[in-house]
Amino acid sequence: MKKSLTLCPYCGVGCMLHLITDNGRLVGVEPGSTHPVSRGSLCVKGWNAFGFVHHPDRLTRPLVRRSGRLEETSWDDALETVVRRLKSVQDQHGLDSLMFASSAKATNEENYLLMKLARGVFGTNNIDHCARLCHSSTVTALAECFGSGAMTGSIDCIDSTELIFVIGSNTTEQHPLIGSRIINAVRRGAKLIVADNRNIRLARHCTMHLRHRNGSDVALLNSMMHVIIAEGLSDSEFIAARTENYPALAAAVAEWPPDRGGALTGLMPEEITSAARTFAAARSAMIVYSMGITQHSHGVDNVRCCAALAMLTGNIGAPGKGVAPLRGQNNVQGGCDMGALPDLYSGYQKASDPVVREKFAKAWGVARLPELPGLPLTHAMNAAAKGDIRAMFIMGENPLLSDPDQAHARKALENLDFLVVQDIFLTETAALADVLLPAACFAEKDGTFTNTERRIQLLQKAVEPPGEALPDWKIICELAARAGFSGMKYNNTAEIMTEIAALTPSYAGVTHERLKPFGLQWPCPDSNHPGTPVLHQGSFTRGKGLFSPVNYRPSAELPDEDYPFILTTGRTYFHWHTGTMTRRTNLLDREERHSFVELHPEDAVRLDVRNLEQVEISSRRGAIRAQARVTDMVIPGVIFMPFHFVEGAANALTLNTLDPESHIPEFKVCAAAVRRVV
Amino acid sequence: MKILSPENLLIFLKDLSADFDLRLPVLLSDGSRSIGSFDEGAISLMGGALSAKPTSLFFPQEGLMFCNQGDNFTPPPLPAKPLFVVGFTPRDLLCLAFIDRFFATGLTDDLYFRQRDGAIICAVSGYCGRDGALIPPSDKEGDIEFIFDRTNWLILAYSVRGREIVSAILTEAPPDALAGIIDAVSQFDRSDELLLQQGSRLLADGLVPDSFWSEIADRCILCTGCNLVCPTCTCFGVQDWRYVDKMERSRIWDSCQLEGFMREAGGHNPMPTEGERTRRRIHHKLAADKTRWGEISCFLCGRCDAVCPTGIGIVSVVREMVARFAPIITLV
Repeated sequence: MKKSLTLCPYCGVGCMLHLITDNGRLVGVEPGSTHPVSRGSLCVKGWNAFGFVHHPDRLTRPLVRRSGRLEETSWDDALETVVRRLKSVQDQHGLDSLMFASSAKATNEENYLLMKLARGVFGTNNIDHCARLCHSSTVTALAECFGSGAMTGSIDCIDSTELIFVIGSNTTEQHPLIGSRIINAVRRGAKLIVADNRNIRLARHCTMHLRHRNGSDVALLNSMMHVIIAEGLSDSEFIAARTENYPALAAAVAEWPPDRGGALTGLMPEEITSAARTFAAARSAMIVYSMGITQHSHGVDNVRCCAALAMLTGNIGAPGKGVAPLRGQNNVQGGCDMGALPDLYSGYQKASDPVVREKFAKAWGVARLPELPGLPLTHAMNAAAKGDIRAMFIMGENPLLSDPDQAHARKALENLDFLVVQDIFLTETAALADVLLPAACFAEKDGTFTNTERRIQLLQKAVEPPGEALPDWKIICELAARAGFSGMKYNNTAEIMTEIAALTPSYAGVTHERLKPFGLQWPCPDSNHPGTPVLHQGSFTRGKGLFSPVNYRPSAELPDEDYPFILTTGRTYFHWHTGTMTRRTNLLDREERHSFVELHPEDAVRLDVRNLEQVEISSRRGAIRAQARVTDMVIPGVIFMPFHFVEGAANALTLNTLDPESHIPEFKVCAAAVRRVV
Repeated sequence: MKILSPENLLIFLKDLSADFDLRLPVLLSDGSRSIGSFDEGAISLMGGALSAKPTSLFFPQEGLMFCNQGDNFTPPPLPAKPLFVVGFTPRDLLCLAFIDRFFATGLTDDLYFRQRDGAIICAVSGYCGRDGALIPPSDKEGDIEFIFDRTNWLILAYSVRGREIVSAILTEAPPDALAGIIDAVSQFDRSDELLLQQGSRLLADGLVPDSFWSEIADRCILCTGCNLVCPTCTCFGVQDWRYVDKMERSRIWDSCQLEGFMREAGGHNPMPTEGERTRRRIHHKLAADKTRWGEISCFLCGRCDAVCPTGIGIVSVVREMVARFAPIITLV
């Protein structure tokens, strides 16, 4: 029996745990009792993190499609087929007819290598990953306002802050160990404002619960800022010394008195006024948000407002203060950091900058690197549906369940000339692949993940992969070699990190050795640097903080006579995204077995629907069935569905409308109808 | 009673490796202390109860029940050598005795006793708690006990096999070696034990309103850690995995805090609210087990209080409960 110190594979909190192995088989988990984030605790997913690893469904051999069927083949044949077909598509349709989808479930090293493969070997900037679907709005807006698109402080800031404003984050379910810190903060006397019309657990602990209408965050936040300015509650010293463009913000929010904000949000004007006064009165405050803010056709604007509210009250750049976008996936921060993005190299270095391209070209030993920005993932799916993207390489993602408008996603994937999927299970997306490459899971490989507070931490192998499955990084290196590229040879993932550090200023001081035991928070610019728990101290990364005023734009599709409900989608506590791992984990699957829709009791009475009955939920995109959960978790007129379930897939209903700047889909609002299944 | 210096105790333990599968507290790379083997890290007898329950050696989080191929049903293998487990605190020994009885009552749990039978249980106590705090020695529980007197380890054997093993140690302790510790134990703070008794009484008398349990449940994030670290929690679920060539049935720790724990196939749940499930966790330990087994099944090992991310382990909850509702008893 042995214990391997490694990382939880689920959310962005980044809890460390020990996997317990007995005779090559995982038999349990022990929390890391000294870890600064998890502090000896875990959530239910962490406690069951080992539960899917040896599942009989694991992919153990490469598969290649022959005569319409996926058949086992050798690694040689699979890899050779992938390279030959990808090259052939590029020969026929151009370098940019190919799209690479990287993965926030994969390590930093693997994301870096796939980025290198796309740009350095296949000559395209068409690389992106699922951050596009979760926090692309954050990366766009916070980079604009602060100069850095990441959480400004640390999780520890929750322990010392006076007030936490949680907007669009069901923290105890989606970032449970951060949610528990918030509960503890309230118990020691911190104030908590929750803005979310679902009756989430944190609402049971809050000073104020603002159940504003879906998609009305800009109206709420602008109105709060209106009150703060009108009542002289802003931090004028901070504004003068640390920010720019304040007059424009003041002018914009002057148009948002609380009665206007109230009319749009459905709140009483007094609630907005009270929330604004409470927020501004705190000597230190944090804004905690997640996908309730980002996944809108105006997601970037929502984040701009959060940034502005923090700057207006001087709540940034010190412990106990800050803007905390809670990153969803275990390594979605790292996926972004590593440049698995169509316009950025690692460390957010611009692909459009010739100096940056020159630096990477020289280091990688290639003549030139592509100049034009690549396609965001969401645009690539649209391009595939139109026939402009002809081949796709998808590593560890399942867009058939996770992308908006499932019929559109299916059409896009089926329209491809060639689809490669590299994954640990035969996902719904993998079932469409022409070649399927079996990958090692988190417990079977080394590398690093970067958590939501920018903490780069070591993942350490506990058991061997099943059958012939290989770590993603090894597969990528094999592909590069077969494509004739000699610059991707590593003995281990530490060597890859050495290369990343050499090319990435914010990771320059990082080595695997230095990451023991609990990691480093970037920026870590040199080998003696202790890491940076709090950003923007003294000055913002961009110099002065930028107020970026915005006006309210309604959601793209609002309820009407045919589709009278607002459908909002999300996740449950027990499952992770498309359920690839959690639906194969005994205890987690037992807890949430069925696709469900939350329906307010008043709506249920009107529709003659009883609790646990089957209902049909439809939108302009499609119709599905799910179990009705009659609950006051939602407000009348709003229904909520998780997107984990292939049977009753919420994304068969969602809308493929994108934010014009971040290209994130509007997962949080679309119009839907519900009817009882007779 | 024998005596060994810390260095000689380690030599003694290493020598036992020839005959036993030795498991003892080790310091892992992150500073966690855990039951492991000599090659996993520095031996760490100091520091008190381990954060994971040592009983998991006999009842692991996931354990194979059998493997089926064709007509063959193969149970998990028997241990190659008997286990010799160091690191139970005296309170852990009370937990072990409780589940030994539980697994032996009615249908004997073969899987548990496949690992448990023949295992030598060695407790640690004395001044080896956190920061050198006193852990009162056991009441002659287990096979062997190592008692730290701040300089050396005093070694007592309670069972026949324990005495056989300890007989290899030649250095006898002075007859009064335990006197100081016995004296300190008489001063030991037993207030938490009294607290549990008070809590048990409150629950048995039905003096804790449902609203209290809802309030506590509001703070629960359903991590299940309280159950998973509890040495007297024995609930498990069953999982069948069908591979191409075989089927494996395993059992996995379960938690009464989860909605699905009691949910019936048709969807009805006799324990439908979080408040009821939270009440159940505490009530089971303090009241139901007392009725069934004659004793409270919390032995104050401290693990659920340490693992709970929101401070609602059993001692914290009972302290709050007693503070709020105990005066009612006085009035009555």
